[in-house]
Formats: sequence, C-alpha cells, structure tokens
Amino acid sequence: MRKFFPVEELARDERFNQVTMKERMADPRSGLPSAPGERSRSNRLVPSRPDASQAARALMHGIFVGEIQALEGAGRTCHDFRTAGDSARRAQDDAHDGVDTDDAVPFALKLDMARQAWDEARHVEISVKLSDWMGSEIGEFAENTVLFQAACSTDPILRLAGVNRALEGLAIDVFTTMKEFGDLAGDPFLEFCEDWMLADEVTHVKMGSDWLRRVTEHDPERRKKALEFQGVVDKLFSYGGTRSDSQESPIGLARRFRELAGFSDHEVEEIAEVSLAALEERKAAVAAMQSAARDVEQLAGG
Amino acid sequence: MSATGVTVTPQRFQFVHFDAELIQRVAESLVAALGLDRPVVIEVDETTPLARIDVTIDDAVTIRVESGAFEDTRRPRHQSEQATAASLGRVLLRARDRLLGGFGEAPADDRLTLAQTAAWNAYCAGRLARLGVHVAPQRWQYDFRNRHGFHDLADVAFERLWASDGLTWGELDEISRTAQHP
Repeated sequence: MRKFFPVEELARDERFNQVTMKERMADPRSGLPSAPGERSRSNRLVPSRPDASQAARALMHGIFVGEIQALEGAGRTCHDFRTAGDSARRAQDDAHDGVDTDDAVPFALKLDMARQAWDEARHVEISVKLSDWMGSEIGEFAENTVLFQAACSTDPILRLAGVNRALEGLAIDVFTTMKEFGDLAGDPFLEFCEDWMLADEVTHVKMGSDWLRRVTEHDPERRKKALEFQGVVDKLFSYGGTRSDSQESPIGLARRFRELAGFSDHEVEEIAEVSLAALEERKAAVAAMQSAARDVEQLAGG
Repeated sequence: MSATGVTVTPQRFQFVHFDAELIQRVAESLVAALGLDRPVVIEVDETTPLARIDVTIDDAVTIRVESGAFEDTRRPRHQSEQATAASLGRVLLRARDRLLGGFGEAPADDRLTLAQTAAWNAYCAGRLARLGVHVAPQRWQYDFRNRHGFHDLADVAFERLWASDGLTWGELDEISRTAQHP
C-alpha cells in the first residue's frame, strides 16, 4: 500500500471544493475591524454577534473537514512508519518505494494513533449530524487543506508535533469556543457534543506531548527541530489571526484545557505570541493589498 | 440604471470575481416579482468578506451590502447567484413590508432586537421559498432557535412565520415574543 500520501490526492467527492492556505491568504478582503497595531471591537464568536448563526455554521463545517483530515493524518501515521524491530516491513519498504523514513516508531505509538483515528471517525459522524442540525450541507463551505499538509512530514516526531500538538491544540481552542457558544445559546446538542469531542482532543494532544518527550528523550536536536516545526504550524493554524488571545479573533486560546493537555505555561505563551503576530501580519498584508488595489484603480482612472 | 430602476456599484470589482450585470439581473427579477415601485440602488463593499446588509428607504431603496452576502461559500471570492438572490430577496421583502403598510410600528433596522430580526428573516425566507428562490429552511430555523430558544414553542412559532403571508408588524412581533417563553 502506498505511503506518504500527497494532499492533492485526498479522496473527496464532487461536493467538496478544496482551497490552499496560500489561496486563502491571497484574499485582499478582511473581516478584521481595525488597521495594523490598533485594537478594536470584539470579534469573538458568541451568540450576541448579529451574524452568529452563519459564523457558527461556517466554523462547524471547518471542524467537520478538519476531523476528516485529522482521521486521514492519524491513519497515515499508523501505516507510513514501520514498528521498531519489524524487519520484514523494513525489507518490504526498502524494496518498494525507497522513501527514506527517519525512524521506526514504537508499537504503542501506532496503537495511540489507531485509537485517535477511531476517535476522529466518530467526530466526523458527530460533525455531520451537528452541521445538519445547524442547517448546513456537506461541502457547503470551502475545505482548507492546510491541516493535512501538517501531517505529511516523513519524520514521525515532526508529524506528532504538527498534528497532535499544533492541529489538535487548535481543535482544543475551537471546541472550547463552540462549546461555550452552545452553552450561551442554550443549544443542548452543540454544547454536549463539543464537550465530548473536546475531551478526546485533550487526550490526543496529551498523547502527542508524551510521545514527543519519550521518543526524543536522548535526542535534543530532534526535539528542537520538532518544536520548531510545531511553531511554524501553530502560526499557520492561527489562520491570520482567526485564533488568538485578542478579542479581535473569533476563536480564543483555551489556556486551561491546553494546560491539561500537557502544554507548559511557557509553550502556551509562545503560541499566544505567535498567534498575535499572525493577526498583525494579516492586518498589514490586507492593508498592503488594498492599498495596491487603490493605486491600480487611480492609475486606471487618471 | 436599468429600465426597471436598479443601479449597481461598483460596475467592476477588484477584490472579488463578481458580476455587476448578474447582480442587476437578479435584482430586477426580484423587484418585478415583488412589485416594488421605487428605484433600487445596490452598493457592494468588496473590501470585507462579512455579509452585513444595510437598507435605507426614501425615494429609492438603497442597499449597502458586504461582499460575503453574495459570495459562493464553496469558492471564496466568487459570486453565487443563489446567495445573491436569497440576500437581496430577503431585504427587498423587508423593504416592501415597510412600504406596503402594517409595519409602521416596526423599529428601524438598526433598532431591531436579534430576536425580532430572526423572526422577520424567517418570515421573509418562507415567502422567498414560495417565490422559487432557493433557501434552506433548517438554516433559518437554526438562526431562529439561537434567538428564541431550543424548544418546541420556538419551533411552532418558526413554522407559523415560515408559512405566513400578509402579517403585520404587531402580529410578527407577538409571535416572536411568545416564542421566547416556553
């Protein structure tokens, strides 16, 4: 069976339309309320926002496609790396695809990934039902494929850092926001389901944190590389400021649940800084794109 | 301005792949179906992906709309004819309600509560569906529940609004108020 599946070949039917992070960031429009460096009104996803229902539906669909990609990522990790000591698989890999994987992984790590894949499959089903409950159709919103891209590393430890700590860490922030939304709106299904999925996500992040420490226990260089990779992915997953401590961001940082998942205070602070930087960079980029567009318009007009 | 009195600005878009002629065509068709007798001015703000729509009514019906309201959510920055018709249809129906009478006591749009807005939207969406515009009932029911509560009384009220024609503001507001107290 093929290893290291490229993001462009994920199986989707005609209902889905996929977009890349590059395409999303090339959008010169912005829903952010103020210029770079300024702080403005709250943009948090709460029921009192006039567009709350539509924004919640869009986020729920984002969760749904995120769960599909998380399932695909965890499943690939089970298969893409051989178990330590599996000489038969090693011979098979060497003869077959020639992909140079960094290392074999402990069987218990793969078992955790299998358990995670099972959880994610359940989350996909829950998300489909919640989306239906909220009036959305499958594929109604574009699917950003950046989540699976973080699951394409050939080093299993980088993959754990990208998927279990960055991606699932974002999931903790998103589920906390949606659980609170359901609670405030009095939506019993949303609040209940998000709470259950949140508990699983905390476990997934914890698994990533634990394995990262164990596998790199005697390899500080590899650990450093993995944590740097996580930093890059965390910035990407801030989606240009969609998630940060700033009230301008629809999704906040769920500090308490991140702590439960094994993030140190220092790590949470780093993510907070990276997210705020992403927010400011996005605002600056939008201002530059809009200014350039105005210049073009003036040139054309006169 | 077209023969039936619809103006769209800008005519050429820079940030989104929208078609001013399509917006005009959709608006003209809705204006004709609703029997609106005033000019309609549509100003699209393409600098934001949000989807707010403000309407002012005087000699003309002026609609200031953010680009997200006409956007194809599957293909960011591209226009959806369906979303254009649903968004314009909803606010044109609301404008017609105000112009035809029975809605004289209705607060200005920016003074409506979230529950009143949701109730009026449900009433408009139901009528749009009967006009043949594609609207998803469950989407509007979810919005109505968010503003009135997740209980049977709210669902009964939603069904009533969805199926109604010819309500007055007083009737609509009463349905909304009673739906909030199970």
